[in-house]
Amino acid sequence: MSEHNHHVIDLKYLLGAAGALVVLTVITVAAAYMDIPRPFDLITALTLAFGKATIVAAVFMGLIWDKKINTMALLFSILFFFIMIGITLLDTLFRDRPFWVWN
Amino acid sequence: MANTNTAHGESHVQHHFVDSEQQFDSSKLGMWIFLVTEVLFFGGLFVAYIVYRAWNPELFYMSAKELSTMMGAINTIVLIGSSLTIALAVRAAQLNQQANISKYLLVTIFLACVFLVIKYFEYTSKFAVGILPGELYTYEGIDHPGAAIFFSIYYMMTGLHGIHVIIGIGIMVWLLVKTRQGAYNSSYFTPIEITALYWHLVDLIWIFLFPLLYLIE
Repeated sequence: MSEHNHHVIDLKYLLGAAGALVVLTVITVAAAYMDIPRPFDLITALTLAFGKATIVAAVFMGLIWDKKINTMALLFSILFFFIMIGITLLDTLFRDRPFWVWN
Repeated sequence: MANTNTAHGESHVQHHFVDSEQQFDSSKLGMWIFLVTEVLFFGGLFVAYIVYRAWNPELFYMSAKELSTMMGAINTIVLIGSSLTIALAVRAAQLNQQANISKYLLVTIFLACVFLVIKYFEYTSKFAVGILPGELYTYEGIDHPGAAIFFSIYYMMTGLHGIHVIIGIGIMVWLLVKTRQGAYNSSYFTPIEITALYWHLVDLIWIFLFPLLYLIE
């Protein structure tokens, strides 16, 4: 009685996602060796990582076909993660000297 | 476990759910809310990474050179492969292919073990030269007063991730046993579905750990 509501993800999407992730991993490694000037090396790496993360969430985790509330949960976790970064940096970026635990 | 809902003819439906579909959706949303807490759990460590990198940019460039890009890249591919196989296990359950569920779960467990073996070789090669977390750090090869910072963060992040991999293997072994007992089919496969979500999150975290820890050149 319940099968009809569960989206069976087409094989070509799963294999395509895996292929795209492998290609993006190779590009990520290649980009790291290309001596891109700072801070664009970090921006490139993070852009590629977010691209890969989107593929995993959308296809492997099935969010494209899923109820929107699950996507909302993920997006809110990311939003609050950025708030955590932002509020912390408001403190740590404006200190007189760094705080080292071990040295 | 009072599986006594006979009104709908499905023994796995708990009495407080209207039907199998509502129970499935509730389980899935519950898992997503758990994944939210996981994102913020790892998020705390990512914030530590960002704060210390902002304070010591040179240190992070110097330290990351000690890590093997090749091993990190192979492990990234291994985890992507395991994400694919667990997605295929869910698909096999939806299509009622019992033998394929077991097969794909086994491959996923195998790939998870490969990840841990590679991680073991990485860790031991670092331990051998005195690259240990915190005050145990004795390596002389990085000329920076805060040399222990990068690797302490590295061990915390990859260690917590590794614990998640180990827990994932345990859950998948349990799923494998239950699958062999015939517990899952196309109308009930919730444990496989939500374990797959967990496993994809483990993959997601590694997708960020790899460039941030290994690829700072």
